Amino acid sequence: MAGKPVRPVNAIDQTRRMLSLVTYLRERPGARIADVARAFGITEDELVSDLDLLPMCGTSFRGGDLLDIDTDGERIWWHNPAALGEEAAEPLRLAADEATALLVAARAVATLPGLREGDRQALLRATAKVEAAAGETAGASSRLSVTFESEGGVFADVDRAISERRRLWIRYYSPARDEVTEREIDPIRLVSVGHTYVEAWCRRSEARRTFRLDRVAEIRILDEPSAPPEIELRDLSEALVQPAAEDPEVVVEVGPGGRWVAEYYPHDSADELPDGGLRITLRTPDPASLRRLALRLGADGRIVSPPELAESARRAAGEALAAYAE
Amino acid sequence: MAIAKAERLMNLALCLLGARRPLSKRELRGSVEAYLEAGSDDSFNRMFERDKDDLRELGLVIDTVENLDGEVGYLARRDSNRLPPITLDAEEAAALGLAAKVWQQARLAGAASGALQKLRAAGLPEDVDPYEAHGALEPRIPVHEAAFEPLMLACRDRRPVLFEYRKASAAHPEPRHVEPWALECWRGHWYLAGFDRDRGAERVFRLSRITGRVRSRGTGFTVPVPDVVTVRETVASWAGEIADRSALIRLRAGSGYPLRAKATEVRELGDGWDELEIPYGHGLDAWLVEFGPDVVVLEPAELRADVVDRLRAVAKG
Repeated sequence: MAGKPVRPVNAIDQTRRMLSLVTYLRERPGARIADVARAFGITEDELVSDLDLLPMCGTSFRGGDLLDIDTDGERIWWHNPAALGEEAAEPLRLAADEATALLVAARAVATLPGLREGDRQALLRATAKVEAAAGETAGASSRLSVTFESEGGVFADVDRAISERRRLWIRYYSPARDEVTEREIDPIRLVSVGHTYVEAWCRRSEARRTFRLDRVAEIRILDEPSAPPEIELRDLSEALVQPAAEDPEVVVEVGPGGRWVAEYYPHDSADELPDGGLRITLRTPDPASLRRLALRLGADGRIVSPPELAESARRAAGEALAAYAE
Repeated sequence: MAIAKAERLMNLALCLLGARRPLSKRELRGSVEAYLEAGSDDSFNRMFERDKDDLRELGLVIDTVENLDGEVGYLARRDSNRLPPITLDAEEAAALGLAAKVWQQARLAGAASGALQKLRAAGLPEDVDPYEAHGALEPRIPVHEAAFEPLMLACRDRRPVLFEYRKASAAHPEPRHVEPWALECWRGHWYLAGFDRDRGAERVFRLSRITGRVRSRGTGFTVPVPDVVTVRETVASWAGEIADRSALIRLRAGSGYPLRAKATEVRELGDGWDELEIPYGHGLDAWLVEFGPDVVVLEPAELRADVVDRLRAVAKG
């Protein structure tokens, strides 16, 4: 698993965490730092910075009102739990944003086609309980919704192959070449970001590859064990498919009707043109794969470079037109 | 060294939660060290108002009560701040653990973790993520659009907004006055549904086409928010997902797998070509042109003409 991303310190998030932390620690004298950090989904460093701050907090800064909490680096001790009245230590209700964030995410994951039925049921039960506990603050969550697209059957097979550590055989459609190829892959993880993908080690290319589930034409779980090499998983906040610095450059000029290209293709730059269009510079390992884009754009744009790519799109359009000539 | 904001907020929260009676601003100023150091009354007042808003943002219900002398007091009552009893089993806890990790937007990621931490403090079982134990599933909700956060807050608080919006094929953005209803993410892109005041009708906007800042327009909604807001249906029809007709095409054998996957009928012609019947919705012409000389449109004539037009534009260069 990739390490936790380093989060910037946010006073609101830290305050909300510390309020839960005092309730949690009050019940667990001598709790271990490692366990508490895991339970709270934070790093040990983040927890230690909370523990540094808590002794300056209390119902007032006078007398014995401050929380006497300290740690020997391994366990956490609270010497005056009575400083926080019985009542002030109760778990707090969910804020509107908190209920929204959790409920919208849980509902979205529950819609993933192919999710194990047991997990879907657990999500739905948990969602209902959280809705009930959140009360009217749960209402705001109806203002947001998210759908993940997935191919249920393919998802279930990939999920099973990952958990049983088995290799997969797939027939996979590659839009760049408009061809379906057979490959054996060792699946590593399922990633849903709008569409659902399987990240895998491809045995045909002996490289890491990402496959979109709705482009899998056929799938079989093989008897051979899956043995992907140890690779560092990428941070999912980046685009799944990243062009490499050494990939050839393609320049596309689009009119206002072709601005969508900048939304769908990761690019190095998109400069405004006087007519409301864009000049987009992007990189791809295989410029020929962009012939589709040139054809699709029609009057809404053109490939500026490389010239061979522009020429191949013109030729393809000419050949296609010949079929309509009679 | 200045006192950290988290320390100040925490102290104010504990004071308000621990109070058995409303505390006046004066009393609060005397109980929170950072307020004593605040200097002038003005800077204390500003700080105090901001802090109250921040605590409310993280869910604290702070009541304002006036006493007999007309002095205002503040208090966070236990019964309005207590989480109602909630019991979740290990499977449910694991499911929420997975859900809490999906937001890639800072504000909602923080809120989701905060929710889980409150539930943890209330006794949520600590279990491992089922997909981490014997598999790996990582759903992520991407949020790349700058307009997302202000629109989310405007939907939540029912505040009309004004933004510059560039329609799909427009050269320049235009101002739009909108009463925002709901946000929906589909295929990784965010959309807003709301009442467009200038057009006097419901509209769906793609967040990536909003340019510049989203500004609040104070006054309330003029039109009731419908119970069900259907963003996806509208977007799906833009994307050509909703087809009401069918088309007949010739496709070179072995090519165009996605067209075959959508076809309602495939006939092998035997001369290196197949004949397919496919659903015909908005945008099919642009999609078919992508296949270049591997596709020939037979019917209807209108689609055939659109495809020929597009091909001519490309052939001209």
